[in-house]
Amino acid sequence: MRTKWLAVPVVLAATTSGYATVYLTVEQAQQAIFPGAKFTFAPVKLDAAQRKAIEKQSGVRVRSAELQAWRTSDSGWFFVDEVLGKHEFIAYACGLDASGAVVGVEILDYRETYGGEIRQSKWRAQFAGKTARDPLKLDAEIKNISGATLSCRHVTDGVKRLLALHDLVLKNLR
Amino acid sequence: MTSCSKTSAELRRARPLLGTLVEIRARGVAPATLDAAFAAVARVHARMSPHEPASDVARLNRARAGETLRIDAWTWRVLAAAQRLAEKSHGVFDVTIAQSSTGVPPAGCTTAGADACATRAGDWRDLVLLPRPRVRVARPLRLDLGGIAKGFAVDRALAILRAAGATSGVVNAGGDLRVFGAAAERVVVRHPAAPGRLIPLALLRAGALATSANYFDAPRAARLRRPDGRRLWLGRGSVSVRAPTCLLADALTKIVAAIGPRRAEPLLRAHRASALVLTRDGRICTSEEFRDAA
Repeated sequence: MRTKWLAVPVVLAATTSGYATVYLTVEQAQQAIFPGAKFTFAPVKLDAAQRKAIEKQSGVRVRSAELQAWRTSDSGWFFVDEVLGKHEFIAYACGLDASGAVVGVEILDYRETYGGEIRQSKWRAQFAGKTARDPLKLDAEIKNISGATLSCRHVTDGVKRLLALHDLVLKNLR
Repeated sequence: MTSCSKTSAELRRARPLLGTLVEIRARGVAPATLDAAFAAVARVHARMSPHEPASDVARLNRARAGETLRIDAWTWRVLAAAQRLAEKSHGVFDVTIAQSSTGVPPAGCTTAGADACATRAGDWRDLVLLPRPRVRVARPLRLDLGGIAKGFAVDRALAILRAAGATSGVVNAGGDLRVFGAAAERVVVRHPAAPGRLIPLALLRAGALATSANYFDAPRAARLRRPDGRRLWLGRGSVSVRAPTCLLADALTKIVAAIGPRRAEPLLRAHRASALVLTRDGRICTSEEFRDAA
């Protein structure tokens, strides 16, 4: 039996200006990467020279001088960081052990938009403080996208930047 | 709240692997099962990424003519599947393609052998599978498993969810996905001309679905070729394939993109697969099976 090839009429496409998925809260990510550990909030502030040194070592631009960070009870570090692509905005968590080796990387939330709004602080602000208990309403039904363009390059670059931060700044902290 | 939420709540995680964001969802398992599923994906990444110097693929690409290598059992399985598809597609599917598309001679070419390398670039026939886990490289090769390893990784991760007793599960590696479980999963695909627009593709209850679009991901398209050197059948559109496994779905999209759904039909049928082509202007060409398959 031969396949009958159908020219299906154009299907109305749902237009999404914003698609978002929340995976983990900060607390959930902490327990996922460092199960059972205790965390002390220890935000990192970088001066101009430190930023420059990190950029030089990692080859990645340091967008923000401030970073959300926690010390773990085992002298590890837990970071919450954000990366911005052309169409996507990704918050992720990264854990480093006392020696500066990556323990784990977890995506906290992923948001994408097509239309150039992503660099506007207003568009980003609507997600501020969202947690898994407070799911975003944007196209919550869209769970499975095939042929996605998702690239993890920005996250990989972000981790490189965190490793340089640890090597140049945090390793020497007592 | 603890024991019953474990079985009813859906766990959902994403990690950066295989050059994309890999998402895993499951019901009826503990979070550690998702860790194990991600570890399977990480194993595929570590053994099959050409960019990891210690990977099997990097080692094979450095191998000299006639060299025999022991490789990871999973890499061997992917190569065996790739070779079967290469044979059945008469070389349309060829995991050694990266070399000729870049025009760069394989790393393993010695000065003495440079002429031989230049006259005929190695292809899939120069990769000889010996009893597992060994392979022989008859001619220096430039392998790239980008068109098949991602699907295999999805299959391995899903197998772990199943083995752990998950009642349902979805593994999606940048658009190559496989599902199982009670509820049908609605899958959408991006409009080729407007990636922000999503077009409903299918309801997937079991099995896999992969999509290749050759303008989103030009390097991947560059891995496709026709044996006669002619242009790809697929212009600026996308090809989605449903198949029992994600390895097959992933690899078959490359074959359909190369020679078109009609010529690929015997191969699709032989693998219980079906295809859907979406053109840049939003027209859909599909077989009945694609939408009907449960």
